[in-house]
Amino acid sequence: MSVLLEIRDALRNFYSRHELYLLPFFKFCFSFFVILMINFNLGIGSRLSNTVIVLTVALICACLPINLLVVVAMLFSIYHFYEISLECAVAGGMVYLLMFLLYYRFSPKDALVVLMVPIFFGMKIPFVVPIVAGLLCSVTGAVSVGCGVLAYYVFIYMRDNAAVITQLDADNLIARFRFIIDGLRSNKGVFVVLVAFCGATLVVWILRRLPVAYCWTIAIIMGAVLMVTVLLMGGLNYDTGMTTKYVIIGMICSMALAGVVHFFMFNVDYSRTEMVQFEDDEYYYYVKAIPKNSVSKSKRAVKKITSVL
Amino acid sequence: MLSEERIKLMTKMAAYEENEGKQYMAIGSYFRADYMGKQIIRSIICATIAYLFVFGMYVFYHMESLMVDIYKIDLLEFGKKVLYYYVIFVAGYAVLTYIVYSVRYSRARKSLRKYYDNLKQLLAIYDIENKN
Repeated sequence: MSVLLEIRDALRNFYSRHELYLLPFFKFCFSFFVILMINFNLGIGSRLSNTVIVLTVALICACLPINLLVVVAMLFSIYHFYEISLECAVAGGMVYLLMFLLYYRFSPKDALVVLMVPIFFGMKIPFVVPIVAGLLCSVTGAVSVGCGVLAYYVFIYMRDNAAVITQLDADNLIARFRFIIDGLRSNKGVFVVLVAFCGATLVVWILRRLPVAYCWTIAIIMGAVLMVTVLLMGGLNYDTGMTTKYVIIGMICSMALAGVVHFFMFNVDYSRTEMVQFEDDEYYYYVKAIPKNSVSKSKRAVKKITSVL
Repeated sequence: MLSEERIKLMTKMAAYEENEGKQYMAIGSYFRADYMGKQIIRSIICATIAYLFVFGMYVFYHMESLMVDIYKIDLLEFGKKVLYYYVIFVAGYAVLTYIVYSVRYSRARKSLRKYYDNLKQLLAIYDIENKN
């Protein structure tokens, strides 16, 4: 454990010393990865798949606030929708626009969560996002997770039905539009995933704020249990596109990742909890103090031995 | 002479001004009613645009049936219905905005109060230093 704590402290120190260079570098890598994933899923052979364009946009994103990456990602996906058909672009753009108009006014800081959901879906461990959002974000994180789920399913629907949509009568705009909207509406599995993810985010958020020992661990476990239950029960009636094996293995990996986040963000030693009580002129104070886990760096003493001959 | 206490306080305040204080100071520069009014007006505009888009999509989706039944539909009744849903939607969104932004405003005021207390403390330290 102490080795892990030492590594954590070393990483923290390294990051704080080189934050000026590391932050744009991470932003660049993340932007590059996000755009690459969008292109890989939707736009192979498209003009925007050009590596020079992707690198340039990622480089620009590295210098901009991270929230703008969400806008860039949405613009990229709308362009790919447009390459499938105009109606796809209108329907997809409308979903994104509604998210922006109705939600991002309240919580622009959580915009990154919206991107994380499709990315982790691509990595087959989407369950980590609601748990981590519940641990680190405010209550509005649940809405961000919900928006991410919606964005992902719109994305997947367009990708899977691109061939069918392009084969529909090109002159009949309304028929194409209706096909897209009907397809999006008829997928009831999305609602099951929405309930599971938003519910888990809320449960994790509520539990990790409780003044009880191991609240973060309890929150992670309960969030995971809720998600597994809702997804498996819902999967019996609706097509969520997730098998039992996928849910169980994905959940175990997600819990392990959430454990890593827990280790870095909230590592306390409950065995050394102290309860103190004192008073001043106006109040009595009942304080529960839980020390953070930390290790003091082993100091290497260098002894200089000089010999006089 | 350098005062350790003063430097600690100044560093703390500078960090606050750079991070969360920036946002809170912008909020704190408004009276509560002005701030809430501004946010609610913004929300009403956003909700109106969103509603117009959704309504546009609805019309486009039902274009064929609307074109066929245009003379059979009671347009006044239809208009009333559209307006009714609009009012409910915008009112609901405005209430949500009111709740969220009133919480934010009180949080900002509370945080700024602490900042101003620190500012007073800093002035007091300067006074003591000048007297010495």
